[in-house]
Amino acid sequence: MNKNKSRNIFIIVCISPAIILFTLFMVAPTVEVFRMSLYRWGGFSNTREFVGLDNFKVLWNDTNFIQAFQNSIVLIVLVAIITLVFAIFFAAVLTKEKVKGDNFFRVIFYIPNILSIVVIAGIFSAVYDPSTGLLNSIFGVLSLESFQQMWLGNQDIVIYSVAGALVWQAVGYYMVMYMSSMASIPASFYEAAELEGAGKFKQFTSITLPLIWNNIRTTLTFYIISTINLSFLLVTAMTGGGPDGSTEVFLSYMYSQAYGNSTYGYGMAIGVIVFTFSFALAGIVSHITKRDVLEY
Amino acid sequence: MKKSKGIRTETLYKIFIYVTLIALAITIIIPVAWVFLASIKENAEFYGNPWSLPEGIHLQNFVEAFRDAQMGEYLLNSVIVTTLSLFFLLVIALPAAYVLSRFTFMGSKFLNSFVKAGLFINVSYIAVPIFLMLLGWDSGLQELFGEGMFLNNRVILALIYASTALPFTIFLLSSYFVTLPSDFEEAASIDGAGHFRTMFSIMLPMAKPSIIIVILFNFLLFWNEYILALTLMPGENKTLPVGLLNLLAAERAAVNYGPMYAGMVIVMLPTLILYIIVQKRLTQGMTVGGVKG
Amino acid sequence: MKLKKLFIALLFILAVVALAACGDEEAGGNSGDSEGSDDGEVTLHVAALESAYGSEVWENIAENYEALNENVTIELTTAKNLEEVVRPEMQAGDYPDVFLLATGREEALTETLIKENGIENISDVLTMNVPGEDAAVEDKILEGFTDTLATNPYADGEMYLAPMFYSPTGLFYNEALLENHGWEVPNTWDELFAIGDEAAEEDISLFTYPLAGYFDTLVGSMLYASGGPDFYDSAMTYEDGIWESDEATTVFETIDKLADYTHPNTVANANPNDFTRNQQLILDNEALFMPNGSWVVGEMAEAPRADDFKWGMMPIPAFEDGGDRYAFTFFEQIWIPSEAKNIDAAKEFIAYMYSDEAADTFMEAGAIQPIEGIVDKLDGEQEIYYSIYEEGDVLPAMGTFASTEPVPGASITEELYEKIDSVMSGNITVEEWQQAVEEVSDQLRPAMN
Repeated sequence: MNKNKSRNIFIIVCISPAIILFTLFMVAPTVEVFRMSLYRWGGFSNTREFVGLDNFKVLWNDTNFIQAFQNSIVLIVLVAIITLVFAIFFAAVLTKEKVKGDNFFRVIFYIPNILSIVVIAGIFSAVYDPSTGLLNSIFGVLSLESFQQMWLGNQDIVIYSVAGALVWQAVGYYMVMYMSSMASIPASFYEAAELEGAGKFKQFTSITLPLIWNNIRTTLTFYIISTINLSFLLVTAMTGGGPDGSTEVFLSYMYSQAYGNSTYGYGMAIGVIVFTFSFALAGIVSHITKRDVLEY
Repeated sequence: MKKSKGIRTETLYKIFIYVTLIALAITIIIPVAWVFLASIKENAEFYGNPWSLPEGIHLQNFVEAFRDAQMGEYLLNSVIVTTLSLFFLLVIALPAAYVLSRFTFMGSKFLNSFVKAGLFINVSYIAVPIFLMLLGWDSGLQELFGEGMFLNNRVILALIYASTALPFTIFLLSSYFVTLPSDFEEAASIDGAGHFRTMFSIMLPMAKPSIIIVILFNFLLFWNEYILALTLMPGENKTLPVGLLNLLAAERAAVNYGPMYAGMVIVMLPTLILYIIVQKRLTQGMTVGGVKG
Repeated sequence: MKLKKLFIALLFILAVVALAACGDEEAGGNSGDSEGSDDGEVTLHVAALESAYGSEVWENIAENYEALNENVTIELTTAKNLEEVVRPEMQAGDYPDVFLLATGREEALTETLIKENGIENISDVLTMNVPGEDAAVEDKILEGFTDTLATNPYADGEMYLAPMFYSPTGLFYNEALLENHGWEVPNTWDELFAIGDEAAEEDISLFTYPLAGYFDTLVGSMLYASGGPDFYDSAMTYEDGIWESDEATTVFETIDKLADYTHPNTVANANPNDFTRNQQLILDNEALFMPNGSWVVGEMAEAPRADDFKWGMMPIPAFEDGGDRYAFTFFEQIWIPSEAKNIDAAKEFIAYMYSDEAADTFMEAGAIQPIEGIVDKLDGEQEIYYSIYEEGDVLPAMGTFASTEPVPGASITEELYEKIDSVMSGNITVEEWQQAVEEVSDQLRPAMN
């Protein structure tokens, strides 16, 4: 009885600061976002008008919002898939192959992740420059002029240019994550497979992939969350959402509506959609990727 | 061992691997080096080819960034806020993650998913509600004591940083604690150690690799954060990223690129240094515990 | 120490909550004591955007004004991101008394306050005497500056924002390049496009623009040229069908035609990061004309340029021979928020902006006040730009869209200007663009206040 009591005290002492702060500075403001999405309010005056779900009805027909929504989805899907492939490939190479200088590569690959997004925007605006940019210069040197593009000007391409920058900064981070779980796979598994004559690719699909599957599933949620957030920061710094809204994403549209268009409540309605959408998407992805966990 | 044909594909495969590795390394090294080089260029050099090497070392850019844009002062603020936030975060998140991952009690399942749901809350849209909330508290204080204390306060900002990082940090630490065998606790219990002692002297030291990852990730997060800093510190005590944004806006308006890149380097350098110091531990930590689904 | 502070803070919150719950009246009683009284000392809080003219000029103005009015102390806030600095203070109820902050900024703080009816009517400033002088404000301000939608946003003849720092805009070009090729400065769009065809043969593009937003002055001038002032006002007040009229169609189609003559790099660089590269195209003789304001000269002062480069500025061409040509006048605005504590002192201060003393101080920093006789004081390049209206058929164009209540998702500037990027790159047709503008105009019409 007494022991139980001390256990309870211990539990309460340990978790209550976290729960209180979390509720106060994260849950309460989120509830406030939901509440404000039901109002029409410019941001300064005291005239808040309750409009029910009107803001959401307008959203439904707002073509600019729909474009921002599409752009966000394109970015989430592209960045997740491309980063995943690259990160797993490099993680596998660096853990399984005896590469000279693997330490060097590992250290270098993580660097983009530690850079401020403002720096990344500066870098990529120089890489994508139409006349002196690195990308077009390289194609010029290789006499592949037909590949030269207006990376930030062509509205069919610009969203992929943004995706490229996001992948560039994310690969190292996820690579390190996958490396950690790959490194904990016992070497004996591979030795056994080798004896059975399984090739590298076979080993990868039948041993590595199933054993890090849970780790991959977790990172899928991170892709969703971080792409929504980083695409906003990057787009704001690099393209300003242009040309003509073709790189506008969820949160940049939210900001332009909440402040630029003096419709704070409408902006918060977008915030509600972003929260609900990312939550639902992560739930769905987690559900459809569910496999029997392989333990080792 | 292997047939000659096997060796040939093996060599090709090796070449392929090195080419891709080196290609990726180059795409990272060149742009980062470029920022450093750009920071010592004179303004007139920015109109030509952006990839040309600087003609000389123009340190005036850094002087301008430090003097005109008060980057020195902001640097200090950033150091204070980041250190405090990391301190708060560890003190609060470690016990919580330990309890949430290793104890079952009434509501523990609910609390776990409650905190995990916090991963989806984005700072970008709660910044203003937090601001309005602090503002409300401040005007309350003002009526009573003639002075508010929640806005423009580095300690409060640090506390809010720590709060917003809680879901991810608890998630990361929990996934590590879960993997630890329960023998240690049982042994400690038999020795008569209380829960607090068990946690402090046995479990937390074992979590060291994970704690290093938490520190690195969150250092990067706090150091580069600007939305909250911008909103909650409208007066003095700006942090470095906010200062950098101001500097960028100012120098871009004045088409004065040198100090802009100097500012970027000032922001980038501490993170690079910290990363180089802990990078060895980073992969170690990842390997020992890491994020295991 | 810090933790202790925090604890005290938490106790305070509890105390506040408790007091609020009791409905204690006393707590709220002493908050309004900072009002300036008429005969006593006044502290005037002035918030000014630190633009290309720098912040020092405001310190000088404050000093001069304090010397003139001994009982006024000026508390100055200048910042490049003024909105971000003062927004929190305003939300806390602490409003500056005077703002120098133009409409058309991305943060749109001024527009927000206009939409929320948060700006003081300052029509009576016009009849006030300029401090230290013998003239009324309305006699000093240049004609036409106080009856536009940029100063009277509700189109009711009342002035809410006073004009500051004007700057003519037009098409900027390299005079030497035109001369070397024997091209005359074009008076009509036909002449302009004719030059474009010749230039194309030498791999020079006719046109570029820094950002789509720079079309605000260009489209404005074109609307004036196409339909005259009344037509322009109808467009700015969202009259039904106005964007589908023949006059508007002419403007839309001309811009669409311009797309064929625009430098291919333009859209790629038309973002806040890279827009100077488009301006650089003019300096490098890669493009002939761009819409801009006289500030571009200072903005690009350090940029390298073609040999014997010389800036030139011309009004927007007429649509037919002998038609009116317009050059849009861009100006900033000074205004008083309704919540300001010292409204009368603030009005005095605004009146002072039109004194010769203030105008001279501003001019030293390169900012030109819209007052009588100012052009005579200018010299060098500036004189050329500011005397653009002295050519016979060149008329000044001014104004902006009428203010509306906030309409979620509807922004006329977004549809009218930002879409131009898409027109230029051929992603949408001119009809689609025109239709989008008319649609948003339909949405905003009922929301006009």
